[in-house]
Amino acid sequence: MVSVGAMGPLVRLAGAAIGYGRPLLQAIDLEVAPGDFLAVVGPNGGGKTTLLRTLLGSLAPLGGRREAAPSLRVGYVPQREAVDPLWPLSAGDVVLMGRVRRAGPGRRLGSADRERARHALERVGLADLWRRPFQKLSGGQRQRTLIARALAAEPDLLALDEPTSGMDPAAELSAMDLLRDLHQGGLAVVMVSHRLEAVANYAARLAFADQERGLWQVGTLAEMLRPEALSALYGRPVTVREENGRRFVYPEAGGGRAA
Amino acid sequence: MGGLAGFWEARDIWRDPLLASLLAGALLGFLGVYVVLRRTVFVSAALTQLATLGIIVALLAQERLGVEVEHPAVQLAVALGFSVAGALLLGTLEAGRRLPTEAGVGMAYVVAGALVILGANRLIHAAHDLNSMVFGNAVAVPFEDVLVLAGVTLLSAAVHTVFQKEIVFVSFDRETAQAMGLDGRLWSGVLFLTVGLAIPVSARALGALPVFAFLTIPAAAALLVTSRLRPAFAVAAVLGLVAAGGGYVLSWFWQVPTGPTMVALAAIFTVPGAVLRIARGA
Repeated sequence: MVSVGAMGPLVRLAGAAIGYGRPLLQAIDLEVAPGDFLAVVGPNGGGKTTLLRTLLGSLAPLGGRREAAPSLRVGYVPQREAVDPLWPLSAGDVVLMGRVRRAGPGRRLGSADRERARHALERVGLADLWRRPFQKLSGGQRQRTLIARALAAEPDLLALDEPTSGMDPAAELSAMDLLRDLHQGGLAVVMVSHRLEAVANYAARLAFADQERGLWQVGTLAEMLRPEALSALYGRPVTVREENGRRFVYPEAGGGRAA
Repeated sequence: MGGLAGFWEARDIWRDPLLASLLAGALLGFLGVYVVLRRTVFVSAALTQLATLGIIVALLAQERLGVEVEHPAVQLAVALGFSVAGALLLGTLEAGRRLPTEAGVGMAYVVAGALVILGANRLIHAAHDLNSMVFGNAVAVPFEDVLVLAGVTLLSAAVHTVFQKEIVFVSFDRETAQAMGLDGRLWSGVLFLTVGLAIPVSARALGALPVFAFLTIPAAAALLVTSRLRPAFAVAAVLGLVAAGGGYVLSWFWQVPTGPTMVALAAIFTVPGAVLRIARGA
């Protein structure tokens, strides 16, 4: 058995049952290694966010166990809708929150924290928006600001919950390109999405989750894009085609489920 | 002797109540920014009811059971117990799978409100005092209450200065704060502990109605005129202080109930911000 941390996985679920009170998905074995890029795909309400929360330790597994590297630092990006735009905060204020844990309780954020936060905002291409009110940012800019906040924590693992939800195609591609660049820079990335096509060109590994049918599968991109695996997810025959170097997913019409 | 000279002559009467009003106005105005931004206005309403219920329980225990709670400090301790317990419970509630948090807060509010009315109905000797407790009439405030209020204000100021970044992060985005290693329940608990302490000590001085108003109106007025968080806290505290102090003085001169005068003055402070927003089309 590989130990968690050191050169082993960053975080691991072993035989885990996940859910709130009653299990949504069971017998989950999942490891996230340094430099990994895992996308969890499934329908809305399929248990993806519950899985992510369990993986990050926000929610205790109902059965089995979760192990994490002792010094694991997580940068988390919630669904955009989860962040209240009512708060009178600038983009810089939001990014600085990523430094709170590192500074520790009762200690003020210093110039080094501001420098890191500014650098994080620069990495997501929003260096000029430090003072812009968060509530006045576009949807795509808000998402990038939330990613910058996660990066400001200098994480080992970047976890994102539906980061492209509600985005137009151009903004979605832009956000996914940013995640690819961060991953290529050595960061481990775990994201959940209900759109397979959004992640099929970026992730190194895929997991399919659908609590309604008790579906849990995880594997490499090649394994998971096989017609049999995709049919299990969509509940209908599925074709994957490559056009201009990009993969497109075509479920057959009639019946089945969205993913 | 009337007018300003008469007012100054009577300073021994109004000094402590005015001081208590100023402290409570500033404290509640500051805390109200969190209350409004966290969309927990009805948590503060429920806590105000719970604090009043605590006082009624103490009075009933004295009248019906002969328990010695006549000393104001004992009554305040019971009210604090109700308020702090309610604050820690309601302020740290997380949305459940079956019921939203608002359902729990709403139930606490109406049940506490109903028990206040039922309890007041059974009071014999202290029924008269209850009216000023609920609607506010900060005419006479013992100096001991001013000291307690000053202590709670200093404690809250210290907590919110030292732990502001944790409390703001958890209040703004609890899910992310928890995922990134902060204890959401702990920091929400710290925030609502200060709210739970502030409500009963302020309610003893101002009454329940002004307390609920000062946890809402100055913050709303501040958020209408400022676009940054730190200035919003400062403006809300100043507006709370001015509305409480100004309301007290006006009620003295106009010979009208103190609490409602404070609330009416605070409400006027929302006008500039509202006009500004309408002018900007926001």
